[in-house]
Amino acid sequence: MIAILQWTTLAVCALVAIARIPSALRGENRSIFGVFVLSTVAILLSIDVSYRSIDAWLGSENYTNLILRFVVYGTVLLAGYRIAKAFAARKSVRLIAGPAGMAVLAVIGIATVILFLWADTAGTATGLSGVRDRSPQNAALIESYAAAGRLYPAYVAVCILPATFVAMGQQLPRTIRIGALLLTVAFAAMASGSFFPLIPSEVAYLQAVINYTAVLCLALGLALIWISSLMAKRELRLNPR
Amino acid sequence: MPLPAKAFQHWLHVVAPNASTADICRISGIKRTTLAQQLVRGKVAESTLVSISRALKRSPLADLASFDSYAELAGRPLPPTPAELVSQIATMDLLRAVISRSAPAYGGYGDDGSALTPALAPAPHATSVRNWVDAIDDGELRHRVSDATGVAPQNYSAQLTANRLSPELAVATARAAGVGFTGGLVATGLLTEAEAGWPPEAKQAALDALSDGELTALAGERLQALGKTLRRQEHEQEQTKKIWENLG
Repeated sequence: MIAILQWTTLAVCALVAIARIPSALRGENRSIFGVFVLSTVAILLSIDVSYRSIDAWLGSENYTNLILRFVVYGTVLLAGYRIAKAFAARKSVRLIAGPAGMAVLAVIGIATVILFLWADTAGTATGLSGVRDRSPQNAALIESYAAAGRLYPAYVAVCILPATFVAMGQQLPRTIRIGALLLTVAFAAMASGSFFPLIPSEVAYLQAVINYTAVLCLALGLALIWISSLMAKRELRLNPR
Repeated sequence: MPLPAKAFQHWLHVVAPNASTADICRISGIKRTTLAQQLVRGKVAESTLVSISRALKRSPLADLASFDSYAELAGRPLPPTPAELVSQIATMDLLRAVISRSAPAYGGYGDDGSALTPALAPAPHATSVRNWVDAIDDGELRHRVSDATGVAPQNYSAQLTANRLSPELAVATARAAGVGFTGGLVATGLLTEAEAGWPPEAKQAALDALSDGELTALAGERLQALGKTLRRQEHEQEQTKKIWENLG
């Protein structure tokens, strides 16, 4: 079940990234192309098979996990900034890319690195499973490291959620409203990341479901809005006013 | 409520006993799949009946009245009120009338209904449904229609904004307002003015009967509403453009 979700998400992100190469070469919205490339990389780094091979190449110290965190931060920053600008949410743009947003990113980024270096992360373990059991102190460090990793996406998601939620109910082309709905689901899932410790361990797989739902909805929402813009352009070319 | 398929097929058999479904579709311009779908669902749209009746050179109004749910339409219909007639004049025609009545210095002829002014466009126009309801509304009409039909007021308003009204609701609205049943059917474009039995000069006569003050105030209201609609559309277009620029 989780595997299907993982590979579907990977396929969607990779396909859209490839489909956007021509427009990226023409210089159209390269940052959205970047969002799709970064999310493809992030999923590759979180799937067991690819994580193991990449981490082995990087010296089996689980540095891949640290890289994954920063890839996620970059994706979220880029996507959040662009989406906030698109939906004309000035407050969200300020909170994400203004001094406040940069300060939040810097603090969380530094905390992520320090907690990672502090903890004992030797070996290769996807999602750092097993590593935390080495000592109670290590478990606390890894737990805080993971919490920091979920905090930044949650921060950006909360900043932007009102904008996409409002857009859903506005008089806009239907594809854009459906896109806004998908983005709202994605950000709601991202924001709920801060509450993962409340999920009972018997249903721990819910975490993965929520994470991949977020990425999948983000990718589908952005792809849908992109397709609607392409259709509008084609319409204009066929029936110029 | 659309027409029951059984009654529709019975009617079709009576009015065109020898015509095949293909013939009917060809002469009336209805897609075969559309008609087949409506028959399978058991509900035939009133517009389907009107198209066929028109193609057979029959009276759509009388044919509609032959169905139980539209029996009220039978007999001599109440003629439309002057307000209803004026509501079916397009906004641009009203503005043209304002100019036409003005002094020659402003491009007018200085008289009512000058023979030199172009003829009024046939109903329906871009906001004919809302204008019709506004013309017969005493302030409580929407509530009475909602009570009588069970349609929520916000759904009713949404239909008016989209310049739509189901024939059933159009008849219910006319009944609740105590006016003739044809007004709503013309405003929604189901029937033409002639098919509804309106005299050809009725609209022009109602327009000419308006005083300069009445006409100018009415044209002003229409213009204001049009401005609001256009501004909203422009705002939406700008929003859409911005979204596509950033995410497209």
